Amino acid sequence: MTKIAVQIDDLTVAYNYKPVLWDIDLEIPEGVLMAIVGPNGAGKSTLIKSILGILKPIAGSVSIYNKPYEKQRQLVAYVPQKGSVDWDFPTTALDVVMMGTYGSLGWIKRPGQKQKKAALEALEKVGMLPFKNRQISQLSGGQQQRIFLARALVQNASIYFMDEPFQGVDATTEIAIINILKELRKAGKTVIVVHHDLQTVPEYFDWVTFLNVKKIATGPVKDIFNDDNLTKTYGINYKVSIQE
Amino acid sequence: MSSAQIEIQIIASLVAIACAIPGTFLVLRKMAMISDAISHSILPGIVVGFFITQDLNSPLLILLAALTGIITVVLVEYIQKTGLVKEDTAIGLVFPILFSIGVIMIAKNANDVHLDVDAVLLGELAFAPFDRLIVSGIDMGPKSLWIIGSILIITIGLLFAFFKELKISTFDAGLAASLGFSPSVIHYGLMSVSSITTVGAFDAVGAILVVALMIAPAATAYLLTNNLKRMLIYSISFGVFSAISGYWLAHGLDASIAGSITTMLGVLFLAVYLFAPSKGVIAVMYREKQQRTEVSLLTFLLHLKNHTEESERHVNHLNEHINWQKVRSKTVLDLALKNNMIQLDKNIVSLTEKGDHFTSQAIDYIITNEDGKIEHMKDDFFLFRG
Ligand SMILES: Nc1ncnc2c1ncn2[C@@H]1O[C@H](COP(=O)(O)OP(=O)(O)O)[C@@H](O)[C@H]1O
Ligand SMILES: [Mg+2]
Repeated sequence: MTKIAVQIDDLTVAYNYKPVLWDIDLEIPEGVLMAIVGPNGAGKSTLIKSILGILKPIAGSVSIYNKPYEKQRQLVAYVPQKGSVDWDFPTTALDVVMMGTYGSLGWIKRPGQKQKKAALEALEKVGMLPFKNRQISQLSGGQQQRIFLARALVQNASIYFMDEPFQGVDATTEIAIINILKELRKAGKTVIVVHHDLQTVPEYFDWVTFLNVKKIATGPVKDIFNDDNLTKTYGINYKVSIQE
Repeated sequence: MSSAQIEIQIIASLVAIACAIPGTFLVLRKMAMISDAISHSILPGIVVGFFITQDLNSPLLILLAALTGIITVVLVEYIQKTGLVKEDTAIGLVFPILFSIGVIMIAKNANDVHLDVDAVLLGELAFAPFDRLIVSGIDMGPKSLWIIGSILIITIGLLFAFFKELKISTFDAGLAASLGFSPSVIHYGLMSVSSITTVGAFDAVGAILVVALMIAPAATAYLLTNNLKRMLIYSISFGVFSAISGYWLAHGLDASIAGSITTMLGVLFLAVYLFAPSKGVIAVMYREKQQRTEVSLLTFLLHLKNHTEESERHVNHLNEHINWQKVRSKTVLDLALKNNMIQLDKNIVSLTEKGDHFTSQAIDYIITNEDGKIEHMKDDFFLFRG
């Protein structure tokens, strides 16, 4: 029996008292590379934010390796949706990656040489070392996404949550990112990715969750990634040609 | 300079520094309006505080009034959370109400309260040196110097302690929350400092100048740097510069000090807005013009690449052919020559190896939008930047 990395029970989340996630039960086994798919506004970002304690659910509970999130922060890394931050913020690529180390530092303590070294290594891994001193608004969309990935890598977590890491990136970056995610899985990490491009689900992921306000289905891609679940999730009669 | 003059300048400078620090974060969080709201809605707090303490400089009064500032923020957020109105509408609803409550309270108790609305808005910096702190018979200097000095020390202490937390929660509140740095704790911390600074400064410089000193230096600094620490240093410098030069402007014109400082802040902002090296209006216009020229250059190079026949590559022919006016053609021709991308032989233009290579790369980039390959080109050409 594999361990359960993330366990969600009866989760209901609302904005201004209007629920956008209803009664979600979800178990994510350790070591999967999982896609969360669903139409715009399905609550995918909301689900991740609730797991990470950024939003307070009105009902239900979340646990990370059997403990509440607050006790397990060190095990979790997060890549928010790229559009959620102001890229004109006065800071450099290196500085943004350093932010990934803040969690292990706790309040008040400043990052030092050790944190800088870790950040540089992460930048190297995503091929962004030459841009370390570049102001973040001077980076292309793909480069910004790599910076976000580097920031998550520097957290050195067991579970990675990524909200649309392929949004607005070029083909080269997409391949670079997915290779890093596959490497993480190989190293036994659990990777959860909000994903939009249904065509690439079978190629990139081994696990998938269909979400649209409610959980439609979750499980191995080869078992449940089919037209039936796609139609249930996206409403219209959905068909994707799955390449073997 | 008399000692009163020196004291006024020191007080104004300390106020400027104390305002620039929270102001920088307010600007980055796009919360400039909230400082306006706080500066007005603290008025009822000040009046109530004055009834209780009978002393405009009492620390208790400052805390009471600052509390009104926090209440403003809470009210604004509460109204906003209902989802019925946007944030700026909520701000616009809350602070005029609180401000007018304060105005009515002053009017009703005009005999008891040595406060008037003018003083609240514009302050009385010129009189600051006359209200002195006397401890067992010894003159310790102006009271406002002590008040704003204490607030400044606390602000600087908090800035050094929580710089990392302020930065991460301002840039990426989601990540901050997931790492355990509660954005709302930091948010209310910042709001408290802003409120306390506003109250502490308002007696000396008035509500309007407080807002101007919080927002204008930070907005000016934002145009000049891509580094948060430097932005803070620039904000502080602009604030102090405006405070001192504004004082002398007022001195020369025999005008209001607060008004003159605000004018200097405006002048400084305007100058930077126009002339800032990369974000200034003129720089942006220049960049756009350059980009247009570079697009023309590329079109021209591509034309050369696609046509080997000499008739197509004659200088005169180009004018007609690519349909450009003489000036434009000459600019493009010069730019290409300067970059060694073409060579001229008896008015016949041909691509150099560099020009040929550049053209292929540029087209490739524009079609595939793949970055990385063209990094070196970004330094020379605006076209490939952002
Ligand atoms: N801050 C917010 N306030 C109010 N409603 C929100 C907020 N964020 C998201 N929503 C709403 O919640 C629903 C789910 O949003 P989200 O989780 O971002 O969807 P997804 O990531 O699947 O596109 C949408 O209907 C969206 O409009
Ligand atoms: Mg989303």
